[in-house]
Amino acid sequence: MPKAMCGVVTIVQEGRFQMTDDAGVSHLFILAYSAAAEPQQLTALQARQARVRVHYRPAANLIGNTVTAIELAG
Amino acid sequence: MDMHPRIRDEPRSEFDLVPPNESELTAGVRIEPGKSYGFFTDTTVCIGCKACEVACKEWNNLPADNLGLTGQSYDNTGSLSANTWRHVAFVEKAGSSGVRDNAQQAFQSGWLMMSDVCKHCHNAPCLEACPTGALFKTEFDTVVVQQDICNGCGYCVPACPFGVVDINTLDGKAHKCTLCYDRLKGGLEPACAKSCPTDSIQFGELSDLHARAHQRVEHLHGLGVDSAYLYGVPGGPGATGGIGHLNAFFLLTEQPEVYNLPVAPTRPATRIVPSLLSGLAAVAGLALVAIGLFSKRA
Amino acid sequence: MPDQVILQDPDDAPEGPSAAHDTMPDGSWQGPTYYRRSQLKAAPFGNWVVGGYIFCAGLAGASALISAIAGFSRLPQAAATVRRGRYLALLGPLSAVLLIYDLHTPKRFYNMLRIAKPTSPMSIGTWILMSFSGFACLGAAAQFLSDRVPGLGWLRRAARVTDVPTAVAGAGLSAYTASLLSATSTPLWAAAPRSLAVRFGASSVAAGAASLSLGERRGATRRALDAITVAALSAELAATLASHGTYRRKGVAEALDGGWGQVETIGATALGAALPLGLQIASLATARRKPGVLSSVASIAVLAGSLLLRVSILSAGDISAERPGINFRFSRPENLP
Repeated sequence: MPKAMCGVVTIVQEGRFQMTDDAGVSHLFILAYSAAAEPQQLTALQARQARVRVHYRPAANLIGNTVTAIELAG
Repeated sequence: MDMHPRIRDEPRSEFDLVPPNESELTAGVRIEPGKSYGFFTDTTVCIGCKACEVACKEWNNLPADNLGLTGQSYDNTGSLSANTWRHVAFVEKAGSSGVRDNAQQAFQSGWLMMSDVCKHCHNAPCLEACPTGALFKTEFDTVVVQQDICNGCGYCVPACPFGVVDINTLDGKAHKCTLCYDRLKGGLEPACAKSCPTDSIQFGELSDLHARAHQRVEHLHGLGVDSAYLYGVPGGPGATGGIGHLNAFFLLTEQPEVYNLPVAPTRPATRIVPSLLSGLAAVAGLALVAIGLFSKRA
Repeated sequence: MPDQVILQDPDDAPEGPSAAHDTMPDGSWQGPTYYRRSQLKAAPFGNWVVGGYIFCAGLAGASALISAIAGFSRLPQAAATVRRGRYLALLGPLSAVLLIYDLHTPKRFYNMLRIAKPTSPMSIGTWILMSFSGFACLGAAAQFLSDRVPGLGWLRRAARVTDVPTAVAGAGLSAYTASLLSATSTPLWAAAPRSLAVRFGASSVAAGAASLSLGERRGATRRALDAITVAALSAELAATLASHGTYRRKGVAEALDGGWGQVETIGATALGAALPLGLQIASLATARRKPGVLSSVASIAVLAGSLLLRVSILSAGDISAERPGINFRFSRPENLP
């Protein structure tokens, strides 16, 4: 069951990004291969420091989360 | 390493903005497109601090993986993977009878520490294998996977003779060291080279690095370390079989297998023509048999 | 509340003791390894998926080739063979679905068509498959229409034009897949590129002839197809012997010591090549007019063996990539071309 989190995209590298949530904690996210979003779209989000909502699952054997969907949160 | 004259003009160690061509200050080299850049890794001065692993993960926003202890000396990383682009190998030499030597040579030789990385081969097998064109040679003569093109076919993975590139099953694409392509475009040296406290990882122009490396080997031979040699220079081990040379080459003091490197890798593309010709000859021969059989049936 | 980190053992921790001494022999390799960790990475293919594709593509390509030859003989009794061959060729484009399924980002499958790279057998194969599929679909459509719609019988003869490029591309399809495996650093696949190519090519032709023979009712044509199978299986067995000799010389034969090696010996060589060869020779020698049960059993065995050959070579190759000792023996200066 994917969870959701809101925050601001702060660092983008390839298909991975760091998002700082409303509590100020930063998390690492990896775009899943099945996600509709493409890696090239993440840099625009980071440039705008856009507030987004990510739907994610924790990844096994690494400290990070797999993103299944990402949308603007306003 | 030669100091760039600009260093005299920059006494501060903190800057408000990234200075232009920062690599001149930190690595003594100006980064220009069209030249060949790479790493010279001198394992004899590596202290195994793993600053290179950490800097690489930090800059490239790579997740911490391989959680858990391996029990293999100080190496809890294990190997290069889709999420690990720098890997420090540790070997504690026990001596020939399993008992550690009492006397040591001119430098620390009971420990072998080597920071492994993508070799950015001249005739890169991964690049030659890639059917989508995602892997390409940049203007800095490095090999990079374009993440917006790769469809995760995984053919680059068995092609690599050094076992470097890997598929990340979560995002479905191939990943490996980019030699900090984004940093190079901004005039910054790669994160691992910048963070290395002993300059074991030296970044620079390939011709310059080769000259420095040969000098270092001669110096070590003069100190009595006869086992020192270069791995990945043209004509040496690691650059065999048509691979040409490795832009990221190493100074090693033991045979390559100890560091998990192959002695004489080959360029896989050399096997295509013999394979296709043999296969087509077999099929053509059998087709002739078929023609003969069907023409007799009158 | 932070998310709990899911911990598992390191995926790539090797078996065996991890004591820190500098010589850890791996199998018959007595030199040093790095804690017996693998030095290469195994291909991330699903072996049954990719093996299934290689089997289907080889079968389709060879069927198209053989049926085109039968058609150009202008023999009236070959018409049924030609029809079956044109439909069997559709197995090529259909099995491309397996390739798309095996991609780790399947939605980008069309990126395979961005370039044509001669140093990449996967790129070469993509274009062989595309051209074969195009011509095969034309041929099959012409066959279908000429059979169903009255007055379009001339389409069947006109389809002979597409039979030529279908057959040529089909020959490529049967032969290129071995180069796909050999143009890697996986020791078992790289050690004997020529004999592996003959094995795969001959196995494809045998499978194509066997599948055409299974549905063939006319005795004379079936005898011809079975004779092609005999020739192909003989070539395959000769190449198998040659390849095993090369594997021993180059130091990679250890990869075939385990379970998959047994599948290769029993499933692919014995049951898939030697047994049907014997059965077909017996069938051709005894059945005067129309080959019977022996021929059918042999054809089924050929098909099963052809699939098992691909899957066992893929799996044993992965084993050879994961064992450092095997690659250290293979990538020695003595083995340089």
